[in-house]
Amino acid sequence: MKRHLSLFSLLLALALIAAACGGSTTDTTAAASGEETTTTVAASPDTTQPAEPSPDFMGAVLDAGGCDYGGKVNTITAVDELTVQFELCSPDPAFLAKLAFGVFGIQPSEHLEATGGAPLDNPIGTGPYALQEWVRGDSVIFSRNDAYYGDLAPSQTAVLRWATESAGRLLELQSLQVDGITFPGTEDLATIEADPNLVLLDKPEPNIFYMGFTNTFAPWDDANVRKAVALGIDRQRIIDTFYPAGSETASHFTPCSVENGCEGDSWYDFDVDAAKALLAEAGLADGFSTKIYYRDVTRGYLPTPGDVAADIQDQLKTNLNIDAEVVVVESGEFIQTSSAGGYDGIHLLGWTGDYPHVTNFLDFHFAASNAQFGDGYPEIYEPLEAASKLASAAEAAPLYADANNAIKELVPMVPISHSAASYAAQASVEGAYAPPWGDVQFSLWNNGKDTLVFMQGNEPISLYCADETDGESLRACGQIIEGLYSYTPDGSVQPQLATECVANDELTSWTCNLRSGVVFHDGSAFDANDVVATFTAGLDAASPLHSGNSGVFEYYDYLWGLINVEE
Amino acid sequence: MKMMSRKEALDQLQAEAADSTRLFEKPLTQWRLALRRFRGRKSGMIGLGIVVFLILVAIFAPLLAPYGPTEILIGKEDVSRYGPPCIHLLGCDEASPQHILGLDGNVRDEFSRVIYGSRVSLTLGFFTVTLALVIGASIGAVAGYLGGWFDNIAMRFMDVILGFPSLLLAIAIVAVLGPGLRNALIAIAIVTIPQYARVTRAQVLGLKEADYVSASRALGASPMHILLRRVLPNALTPLVVLATLGVATAILEAAGLSFLGLGAQPPTAEWGSMLASERNQVFTAPHLVFFPGLAIMLTVLGFNLMGDGLRDALDPTLNR
Repeated sequence: MKRHLSLFSLLLALALIAAACGGSTTDTTAAASGEETTTTVAASPDTTQPAEPSPDFMGAVLDAGGCDYGGKVNTITAVDELTVQFELCSPDPAFLAKLAFGVFGIQPSEHLEATGGAPLDNPIGTGPYALQEWVRGDSVIFSRNDAYYGDLAPSQTAVLRWATESAGRLLELQSLQVDGITFPGTEDLATIEADPNLVLLDKPEPNIFYMGFTNTFAPWDDANVRKAVALGIDRQRIIDTFYPAGSETASHFTPCSVENGCEGDSWYDFDVDAAKALLAEAGLADGFSTKIYYRDVTRGYLPTPGDVAADIQDQLKTNLNIDAEVVVVESGEFIQTSSAGGYDGIHLLGWTGDYPHVTNFLDFHFAASNAQFGDGYPEIYEPLEAASKLASAAEAAPLYADANNAIKELVPMVPISHSAASYAAQASVEGAYAPPWGDVQFSLWNNGKDTLVFMQGNEPISLYCADETDGESLRACGQIIEGLYSYTPDGSVQPQLATECVANDELTSWTCNLRSGVVFHDGSAFDANDVVATFTAGLDAASPLHSGNSGVFEYYDYLWGLINVEE
Repeated sequence: MKMMSRKEALDQLQAEAADSTRLFEKPLTQWRLALRRFRGRKSGMIGLGIVVFLILVAIFAPLLAPYGPTEILIGKEDVSRYGPPCIHLLGCDEASPQHILGLDGNVRDEFSRVIYGSRVSLTLGFFTVTLALVIGASIGAVAGYLGGWFDNIAMRFMDVILGFPSLLLAIAIVAVLGPGLRNALIAIAIVTIPQYARVTRAQVLGLKEADYVSASRALGASPMHILLRRVLPNALTPLVVLATLGVATAILEAAGLSFLGLGAQPPTAEWGSMLASERNQVFTAPHLVFFPGLAIMLTVLGFNLMGDGLRDALDPTLNR
């Protein structure tokens, strides 16, 4: 009896100690073993309230030393632990949308320094998942961040796998090996829709597929020739034959879902006679020989590259007597050469929007500095430059109309399609979605199991997405790293690590208040210096942190402009 | 002792005379003997039949194929991508256009493309082997006959090439030269040259000490004359077998390169590239990968059976 009393007393003491320590703030309830696990935050601290600034805080500054370098950023200053000030060189109405882009996710300044500015396979973020392991050639495994400030992910583990072939991805989905896949093949959509165990997720991503010409090569230096091709290609036939339902023939380069995207006149109708007349006017009535360059990589905007290339080849021959040789180029080389304006023929390329603003489509492609279409067209880039500095979308509309009309007249490319894209998932997954901007957050998918598996087309290139551009890398990074802003599942912009960013009237100065109480996966606290360090690593070419994977930092360069770049 | 009648005696005399004339008949040559042995081997004859059939298909492709190999039928017929096979004899609606093997992703007639594909594959196989044979046999013959430093350098170089897996080396060569059918042909030829060089060298090493070669040399024949007239003709047997089997390997490797996008480029109808372009339809339109695959299999099988038959027929140790 005495021994029982002693044991009871010991247990009581232990219980009291555990209660005094507070225990876990999370409450995990298993409804049925192995069937459903719901995880909720029992007492989530209100991290949106600004904390008292520390008087010892030494705020970092990124200073471009003025705006003569031609970029957007003048200074980025850590005013206090939870306040960052962005001083811009010109108004930027797309500032928040840009901040939400996954490339600008925040990492700890200490980690960036420790990795020499190249945390290629060991990123540290604040996201709902932390990197557990990257098994090269097989998968990236994430483990739930139990210290996350928001709702915890339903699954303890998330696994990102890849398979190049869409048929392979579908097979994995059908055999219950994965919970979701990206971009099923066009020909498989009917199969998925007919399968009660699967669900097709519409991904209303704004995109464009186009045929580009470089005007520094003959005969593409003649606007009549470019226009003849624009008139002589039956774009509707391409859409009807090769694109999934919901895709549309492009009336403008930018999809109409993007504000100001469809200002100005619609694109030309298919007219072979007019096309032949233009070719005759250019002295090429009998046609000519050229090449069609493309990369054999499936994208939402181009689901079947080879078939589309072959069809364009056929149409050029049949309609305009143009002999076009189809040339398949390795993806990296293709992007590099086309970006540099190195193709003497037609190149087939496309673009998926990064952030919801017309500048993301038009300014990137038709800026004076972009050599993709050869020598820049002032009729196009001048109104674009003027429009990008206007805060009001309504005020900018006429300028975008001018730019779009100039694109139609000068034909640096022929816009073909805005494609409907989709993901697919098990019907049993709750909350499965495919967002128009950004990418899937695994923490919002609930398959009712401890492990969620998602499959994409390729392996990430690296997990330091400040210096990557491919969607596969960004999808992996997006589970780990968060930015000041993010996209909601329906594509709108919401504060993430910031509680808000407030601009002055001219939209040249943005003050961002940061969320307090946020900790990185390594346990370090998130503060304003991490924001400055992250942007310094991306923007400042002279910084020792500006290392990355390729060192190009393409999105930092194109969206903000790199600082201290050596001539 | 039985007495023969006059008629019986005459018959016997005629029979003996007939036998004696056989002694003066021209003896069977090595090749005629080989042909006789080849005819006796069923598998070899089946292989020959397949190869002859494929050659005829390739030659008469324009007559056999109902459509051009790159002809896109959008707007010309009421058909759609990945259309299934439609054979009127098997009950397909007469109103629908007949497509024996269905339609591919570009709405082209698959049957026509498979037929025209035989042209590409056979041409590539023959040219590759010819190129490799000519270069490889020349190097091997000279190296074997001359010996010395040339033999050492040439054969070590051949050893280096043989040290790489052939398809991997072919991929590397095409990566340097650029994708395309011609470059694929060159790449495959390069990686197979050492096989011909080594076999030829081995043959020449054995033959150059033969009595008839020594006799020819004693009579003052030039080394070139000896090599071309005395040695090489007698070294051909294993080369013929190797070349026949080599055609099969070349076709298979070319299909592999095309599958990887390094060989035939679209819209060329080549079996490997047809497989590659429709690989994602393996479940939705399996006929599009089945028939090009079957064509490759049949061709390789044909050449391999024929090569095996030739090897048996040309090998004097297998005389029955």
